[in-house]
Amino acid sequence: MTVPPLLTGLDVDGAGAHPAAAALSGLAPADLVSGARLARAVRQAEHAGLTFATFADAALPAAPGAPASARLDAVTRAAFVARTTTALGLVPEVPTTYPEPFHVATQLASLDLAAAGRAGWLAAVTPGDAAPAAYGRAPVADLGREARDVVQVVRDLWDSWEDDAVIRDVATGRYVDRDRIHRVDFAGESFSVVGPLITPRPPQGQPVVLARAGDVAGPGRDGERLVDVVLVGGSGAAEARAAARAVVDGDPGARAVVEVQVVLDAEGRTGADRLAELDAGAAGPWAAGAALRHAGTPAGLVALLAELADDPAVAGVRLLAASLDADLPVLARDVLPALRADRRTAAPRGGATLRDHLGLARPENRFAGAARATA
Amino acid sequence: MTTTDRTPDRAADAAHPITRPDAEVHLGVFFQGVNHTTIWSDPESGSQTDFASFERVARTAERGLFDAFFLGEGLRLRESRGRLHDLDVVGRPDAITQLAALAAVTERIGLVATQNTTYNDPVDLARRLASLDVLSGGRAAWNVVTTDNAWTGENFRRGGYLDHARRYDRAEQVLATARRIWDAWPEGPGGRVARVEEHGDLVDVTIDPTTPRSPQGHPVIFQAGDSPQGRDFAARSADVIFSRHGSVLADALDFAADIRARAVAAGRPEDDVKIFPGTAIVVGDTPAEAEEKARWVARQQVTPATALHVVGTIWAEDLSGYDPDGPLPAHDPVVAELGAEGGSSTTGARTHEVAARWRALAEAEGLSIRDLVIRVSGERGFVGTPAAVADRLVRFVRTGAVDGFNLSPWLVPSGLDDVVDRVVPELQERGAYRTAYAGTTLREHLGLRAVARRDGTGAAGAREAALARV
Repeated sequence: MTVPPLLTGLDVDGAGAHPAAAALSGLAPADLVSGARLARAVRQAEHAGLTFATFADAALPAAPGAPASARLDAVTRAAFVARTTTALGLVPEVPTTYPEPFHVATQLASLDLAAAGRAGWLAAVTPGDAAPAAYGRAPVADLGREARDVVQVVRDLWDSWEDDAVIRDVATGRYVDRDRIHRVDFAGESFSVVGPLITPRPPQGQPVVLARAGDVAGPGRDGERLVDVVLVGGSGAAEARAAARAVVDGDPGARAVVEVQVVLDAEGRTGADRLAELDAGAAGPWAAGAALRHAGTPAGLVALLAELADDPAVAGVRLLAASLDADLPVLARDVLPALRADRRTAAPRGGATLRDHLGLARPENRFAGAARATA
Repeated sequence: MTTTDRTPDRAADAAHPITRPDAEVHLGVFFQGVNHTTIWSDPESGSQTDFASFERVARTAERGLFDAFFLGEGLRLRESRGRLHDLDVVGRPDAITQLAALAAVTERIGLVATQNTTYNDPVDLARRLASLDVLSGGRAAWNVVTTDNAWTGENFRRGGYLDHARRYDRAEQVLATARRIWDAWPEGPGGRVARVEEHGDLVDVTIDPTTPRSPQGHPVIFQAGDSPQGRDFAARSADVIFSRHGSVLADALDFAADIRARAVAAGRPEDDVKIFPGTAIVVGDTPAEAEEKARWVARQQVTPATALHVVGTIWAEDLSGYDPDGPLPAHDPVVAELGAEGGSSTTGARTHEVAARWRALAEAEGLSIRDLVIRVSGERGFVGTPAAVADRLVRFVRTGAVDGFNLSPWLVPSGLDDVVDRVVPELQERGAYRTAYAGTTLREHLGLRAVARRDGTGAAGAREAALARV
């Protein structure tokens, strides 16, 4: 087998990915979002040999008014575990539609600094009327175009400092070489940003950008790849593999990651029974969306992931566990070891960057050597 | 840069009566990340970017039982005459993100994020601060700062949109919105999360919040503006004011009296706003050694290039060809009043007045350009043996001039070691400093009263209700 190991991601938001997970957990909201609980889930994910953790997020609750919708900001959560982990990639979901692109760029660069090169960004879009009301703005009509502009300017800002901009030249008294720090002078359809960023270039140069297929209109300026990792799915494994194939056929430098909802036999009950109970909750049934779904035995999940791992078009999976408390221990005990034993996955090396895990080279700086642009 | 030229008059200190004989000294540390406070040219100076530097300073402060660790923020890199300012430390992380990472490697110390009200959306800012507060177990604070300038706005969706006169109006509306978001969560089980609607002329928000209350209720509010508007804002709305008045006791007492009067006028008890001036400490084994070290620090901070830059800022021209060890320019500044430019603190300076004052001082004391800039570079803080410094810190607190000090180390990451290892034990010997953290939240460290909810429940409910007008 010459296919590289399957990258394994897990979402670590709240009680789990099922909309009823929080309510059924019985946890008080303060415990649901506590730092101790978050650090424990992420530590277990790292110990299980997973490649990356995602932190699902939205500024608005799934069920307005319900304390079970408790959720903290994703970048802040990822930063909180930056120093409690050493190998796991940390990928917060941050919307592109309403937040300030300059702040998003600063926050993600800072996460990459704190996590020594393990940061990613799940660049999301926010449809609907509730978010514009929260921000006091008119609804964004073209979500894909806005996402394209925001990802583009964030990438520009990450490069606004060259790697060697800090020179500390005692003889001339200069801390930085101003010729190595650049304005970006970005003008998009709905906003503009002059730059440079207030934060030096992050360790990866460009933290890894993930997005669901179709969310970010592309490509970027001069054909730049805006999304490194495209999240795909389908009604079954064959369809998901075809979607992954379409991604890499369209751009051999991109990576495809398949999203898989997971409800495993756990705590003495079958996955099907657990799913039925969760679906009967007040939040209603779990929408499959674009993701695959496995409700059943750990062995069945191993077989599904093995099939995906053996397809060279599939770089990895993002697992959406219905309940972290129930499913993560089973993943750690029965699923990931079986895949490692078959060399279909490999635990990430400490000290490696998220780009390293994905086989993405550290990119050149787009402004390197450019004439000084701060005049 | 401030342009005061007062020096401490220790003999006069004794004239001020001790009014709070049992009061304790509180300390915070300000990791500057910009400006020439931080000496980067010394071999002991570490990375200003690596997380390890921040962690070392925060852990040292926690070992010293400090109340808080501060991070500043500026949303555009400083420029001078249209070019990036290149002489000082520059380039820093997002404050809340960095503090969240630090929260996991510290246990008790407060974590203060400077955040701008003009160029942050209230829903994002309130949510991120609440997230830090919950994850840290109630140790977060928000140092509220404002800007109006369109130059900073060029990095943001709205561009420059706010009149100078209205920057604190926006700040009040953003803070009021944030407080309502922090109050939206039900206290006990079974309740519903309240919807928050604020439709002021500068804030328009409708949101169902997702962040539960932290153990301290709300993040602590710091305020750093020194203008009359800033002082009034602090007196109405802040828990702590972060002042510049921290080296000269008479000056600090004047400032404290002013803040207390404003607090009372705003309907609060006079001790409701804690006062934490920014300052620095230089210690030596003997007074002479400390003085020598302080002179060395000042000369490292004000390099020849920095000295020419500072004077060039007032003259509004490039003076880099001048001799820093020579006299001030013979000609007067051409521009009479400096405009807003490049994140400079000299906006509005009347250049002829400053130049005349500096010329007189230089002539009277025989100062070169560099000597002069050192002479006028703000207040120099506390210099002396550990015992002498401790005595003066205690005097400041027990005369009621301040509640604590926010220290800027001149070296990162080792600059706090002397304070923690040598000054803190002296304070403890005097019974004027904690020997262990008594509480777990920043609000407890600072001795602040509990947060009232908007509905008027809680210890200070009536007061808070009276303040709910914004």
